[in-house]
Amino acid sequence: MFNLAFDNFNAILNMDGHGIYVWLVYSIGISIIVISFVIARRRIKIIQNKIKIKNASG
Amino acid sequence: MLMVGWIWGLLFAPEDAVQGNSYRIIFLHVPANIFAQMIYYFMSVCALMHLVWRVKLAAYLIKSAAPIGAMITFIAIFSGAIWGIPTWGTWWQWDARITSTLILFIMYLGILTLHGAFSNLEKADRLMSILVVVGVVNIPIIKKSVDWWSTLHQQASISVSGSSSIDPSMLYPLFISVIGLGFTLISLGILNSHSYIFTREKNKRWVSEHV
Repeated sequence: MFNLAFDNFNAILNMDGHGIYVWLVYSIGISIIVISFVIARRRIKIIQNKIKIKNASG
Repeated sequence: MLMVGWIWGLLFAPEDAVQGNSYRIIFLHVPANIFAQMIYYFMSVCALMHLVWRVKLAAYLIKSAAPIGAMITFIAIFSGAIWGIPTWGTWWQWDARITSTLILFIMYLGILTLHGAFSNLEKADRLMSILVVVGVVNIPIIKKSVDWWSTLHQQASISVSGSSSIDPSMLYPLFISVIGLGFTLISLGILNSHSYIFTREKNKRWVSEHV
């Protein structure tokens, strides 16, 4: 169950011709999830800064 | 945990006898589909809480979860479309499962658009909750679409109650991927709700004291 399913790095990339589909899906999927986290963290920072400015101005 | 499931599935799970290596998309496609539906169920429970008991936080959670639902439904549709090219010879087919999932994606976008269209946020919360409750009828249709209509999309290979037709060497990494994606989306949901609650309650004293 824990044996590598491929012989070498090229075989991992190529996946018998299916690599383009598999790696495209995972790269887009991971990118979307990572961007969502970045946007979410940025939104928190923006709203915290706004509240801090409001507090400072009384 | 998500990475463990994906690395196991992508590199260590054996090749599928019929689909070859293209089946490895399953470790993203199936978890994405599961959570596309589960997030909507979560939103519908929140919508009922908001409509029945006027719980403000429930509406905030819907508004925070809807972009995540849209994002994960898009990933489910996109991964399915790419998987369709080597498997079915086409990236799109108006089949029952794909069409009902596309309707779910449109529902998520519709919920966000509806909420954004009102300047009165309390009214927006109420109307958004009504739309969420109405749209929940689509979720059992997505789940049962492969049983009710004999179309291109295969029937479910995994069952919570019965036996699964998928080999354990593929099932275990899939199960870990599902749990891992669940934790990832919960983390994202916490971040989204954090910023949205602060945005809505920014004039309250507790928010000023917390920041």
